Amino acid sequence: MTAGAEAARSEPARSEPAPARASEHLDGSAAVRVRDLTVAFPTPDGPLPAVSSVSLDLVRGQITGLVGESGSGKSTLALTLLNAVSDPGRVTSGSVTIDGVGDVLALHGKSLRRVRGASIGYVFQASQNSLNPLKPVGKQVLDLGRSHGVADLRGLLREARSLLDDMGMNAERVLASYQHELSGGMRQRVGIALALVLNAHLVILDEPTTALDMLTQASVLEIIRKVHARRHLTTLIISHDIGVIGDLADRIAVMYAGRIVEDGPTRQVLASPRHPYTRGLLTAMPRIAGDIGQAQPLPGRPPDLTSIPRAGCVFRPRCPLATDACGQAEPPVTERGDQRFACFVAAGEAS
Amino acid sequence: MAGRTGPVLPATTQGTEWQVNLARKLAAKLVTGLIMIWVVATATFFLVLEMPGNPALTVEANDMSHGMSPQQAASATAAMFGFVPKQPLADQYRHYIWQLLHFNLGVSIAQEGTPVSHIVASAAPWTVILAVFGIIFSFLIGVCLGVLTAIRRTTRLADGMTLLGAIINGLPVYLIAILLFYVFTTIWAIFPQGGNVSVLENPGWNAGYIGSIITHAILPVACYTLAGVGAWQLTTKSSVISVLGDDFILAAELRGLRPLTVARYVARNAMLPLFTILAISLGLMFGGAVFIEDVFNYPGLGQLMISSITTKDFPVLDGAFLLIIVAVIAANILADLAYPLIDPRIRSAAGASS
Amino acid sequence: MSTSSISSIALPPEQLHEALQRSRRQRATRRWRLFVSTPGRIAASVIIVFFTLMAIIGPYLYPKNLPINPHDIYGAPSLAHPLGTDFEGTDVLALLVTGSRYVLFAAAVAAVITLGIGTLAGLAAGYYPRLAGSAIMRVADFVLAIPGFPVLIVLATIWQFGSPVAMGFVMGVFGWGGIARAVRAQTMSLRERGFIEAARGLGLPGRRIIFAEVLPNIAPYIGMNLMLAVTAFIYTEVGLFFIGVVSYTTSNWGVMLNQAVFQAGAATSTRGLSYLLSPLICILLITISLVTLSGAVDEFFNPRLRRIR
Repeated sequence: MTAGAEAARSEPARSEPAPARASEHLDGSAAVRVRDLTVAFPTPDGPLPAVSSVSLDLVRGQITGLVGESGSGKSTLALTLLNAVSDPGRVTSGSVTIDGVGDVLALHGKSLRRVRGASIGYVFQASQNSLNPLKPVGKQVLDLGRSHGVADLRGLLREARSLLDDMGMNAERVLASYQHELSGGMRQRVGIALALVLNAHLVILDEPTTALDMLTQASVLEIIRKVHARRHLTTLIISHDIGVIGDLADRIAVMYAGRIVEDGPTRQVLASPRHPYTRGLLTAMPRIAGDIGQAQPLPGRPPDLTSIPRAGCVFRPRCPLATDACGQAEPPVTERGDQRFACFVAAGEAS
Repeated sequence: MAGRTGPVLPATTQGTEWQVNLARKLAAKLVTGLIMIWVVATATFFLVLEMPGNPALTVEANDMSHGMSPQQAASATAAMFGFVPKQPLADQYRHYIWQLLHFNLGVSIAQEGTPVSHIVASAAPWTVILAVFGIIFSFLIGVCLGVLTAIRRTTRLADGMTLLGAIINGLPVYLIAILLFYVFTTIWAIFPQGGNVSVLENPGWNAGYIGSIITHAILPVACYTLAGVGAWQLTTKSSVISVLGDDFILAAELRGLRPLTVARYVARNAMLPLFTILAISLGLMFGGAVFIEDVFNYPGLGQLMISSITTKDFPVLDGAFLLIIVAVIAANILADLAYPLIDPRIRSAAGASS
Repeated sequence: MSTSSISSIALPPEQLHEALQRSRRQRATRRWRLFVSTPGRIAASVIIVFFTLMAIIGPYLYPKNLPINPHDIYGAPSLAHPLGTDFEGTDVLALLVTGSRYVLFAAAVAAVITLGIGTLAGLAAGYYPRLAGSAIMRVADFVLAIPGFPVLIVLATIWQFGSPVAMGFVMGVFGWGGIARAVRAQTMSLRERGFIEAARGLGLPGRRIIFAEVLPNIAPYIGMNLMLAVTAFIYTEVGLFFIGVVSYTTSNWGVMLNQAVFQAGAATSTRGLSYLLSPLICILLITISLVTLSGAVDEFFNPRLRRIR
């Protein structure tokens, strides 16, 4: 380990992680750097943040998993990486820097359009309906190519074919099919293929296995793993299912009420979770071989935009360890090695 | 552009299956349509029998009073109307249907001896041409307004236009007709007061005649247009809004598709529901034709129906009515059949009804 | 510790119950305010009430045979005759008021019949799609596709349905196609939402499900369609009298229009303008009001249409 990393570990909590960190596998330079991002939506009670002061790194060549309940802001965060926050939401502060692209939030119009699809691939949450129902898949691949000024369209189709074949489908048949002729799993795979066909190196998958049955889930996850490795991608997977993330991701980030409450290498976080929310999530998961009574759900419900506490830690209402200090201010990010978390109590425990 | 006809895509998996399906559906729809026409024709037959003053008997009595013997009168009437008035019902009915299949609609009473089909055929073009232009204009204007109000739906202007469209849609056709007539022929005498062409012009392909036809047609066509524009506008607006909210549009944008391509995706998907109201609008047009032709004194099928009631010329009424019904049913069948052609999702659903 | 910022689950049960009640009341008040928020909607409601009262009470205020006055034909609006006089010198306002009863009564009869047939047909078709569904829909499509006016004109030659009940009956019988389709569509979409399956799963009998579960849910939608149907009915009956195919015993708005345009030539001269326009304006007002109100009902029960004002 380098001296720099040693120094980083022994310093008190900082809100920014050191730029070059030793991690488990690869060179560790961040392909995506999100800094202090806040996305707000107007409500009758004034503008409220769906994503609040989020800072996150996506390490190049690794799969990062983003876990959170519905309403935690994870999809909004993902859309921000494409500068695609839906009206009337607005990015009110922060930056999103992507290697090879620059600050995404500064891009508009044609330059933004170029980046989408070609540099960043996005696989839809509802891949069930992410295709034009009136056109066969192949024609839509061609549309994609034409929109991005691809000169060799035959080559593009070949690439699509090989992607589809790789995923275990009959490529010819799929390219000739309409969306309604494909099963849910097939549509998901087509979604993945479309995200990769232009050789994007950053891929975002929003809830890739929701709405699929268990067997199809397994095969889709396997495909994601395979494709990620083969193409040396940087992948972000978003899911509310911590099992999926735990299975696949190299790094995990846990989101609650628009904030990242914990992140770090997956094995480490799952083995020794620091934040009470992460602990709660893990305790709530029933083990397949074990007494179901051991699983304890988290008390309460996830907050929506209007019920987030205005002062203090957002998790306080449901936290079993809450103290008075937790009601005063939002906890700063503490670092312990490769793991970061935002909790007063956990920070106290860790020191 | 090179990509247009470019890389060869595999043929659609559906292949020839759906075409066979379509043919089967065509046959089924034709049969249904024919049954409907038959039902209406039969109903009309019995209606005509019920109509006060059996016209054939009147003519027969007339002939006899002029000195013909009963047999002569009977055969003369039979020659005129195609059936002998006092025949048993079943025979009359059979004869009626037989005549219909030969497109023989009988003979007019008021214009003695003139075949109904001639009378109807000379009136039909005036209705059809006006109605068709009305549909075209109302479609174009309505769709444009609909798209506009959908895209700018948060503005007050769009709200106002939508309300206006809804109101105009709810107005009775005769209200529009009377108002237009009053304002543009009486208050401001811009357009001629009725008729389809000025009697001063010589018929034929000369500028005067054609010009006169056009000036006489402007107000009626405007009526048809106003009557129909509201429905197109409202349907287009809701359809476009619904498609804009669809997942695949967002997906297309996130994949970096060109705005023009996305717009085309939206357009083709939003057009689908419009198709279904195309068939309905034809039926409504015929209903409106009665009023518009009445107010503007236009010699079309609508006016024919009304005048034939006044003159008790029931064969003509029957004939005009049947023609209208057949046209509407045919249009509906065509629309039903064309739908699978434009929406591939329907093709696979074998035997699915609308 | 302010209670407003903490998730409600954190409250003890009694306070929770009260909080829920309060929020329910707040929601109801907000909805009601939405309904009467626009002056347009208040005006629309007032207009409808006004015409209903006119139809019910109005004719009692006038003698059975309205007086004619040959000295005041096509009189301009004045104090004695606020809307002028017709070609016989009869007060237009009187004609309007006495004629309103027929128009609204026949429309009401038609509405009831259409409601009955259409709702039943739609519910049956939606709830038993395999058994009754497509057969009923074929008939409904048939009724819907055939252009109403030509049919009514032909029918008028053998049966003079001049009385309001007869007129209402005929219109209702030929007009239920639209409501049947709409009700069926709504019933089927309720199926999709698992509503019906759930009730079936509980073992509730079919009829109970239809009338206790499905109907209350689609009732506002039916109300909306009914309001629009009433505008169509008024339109139809006035139109039939206007073109003169139905004989009349008492005057009504359609008869007024017919006399004005075809017999008195009010459309080709500038005299008697108020005579020509009065029935038209009444129809216009009723149509606009019903369209506005049906839009309000739509927004009331369909929260997606509401906007943060």
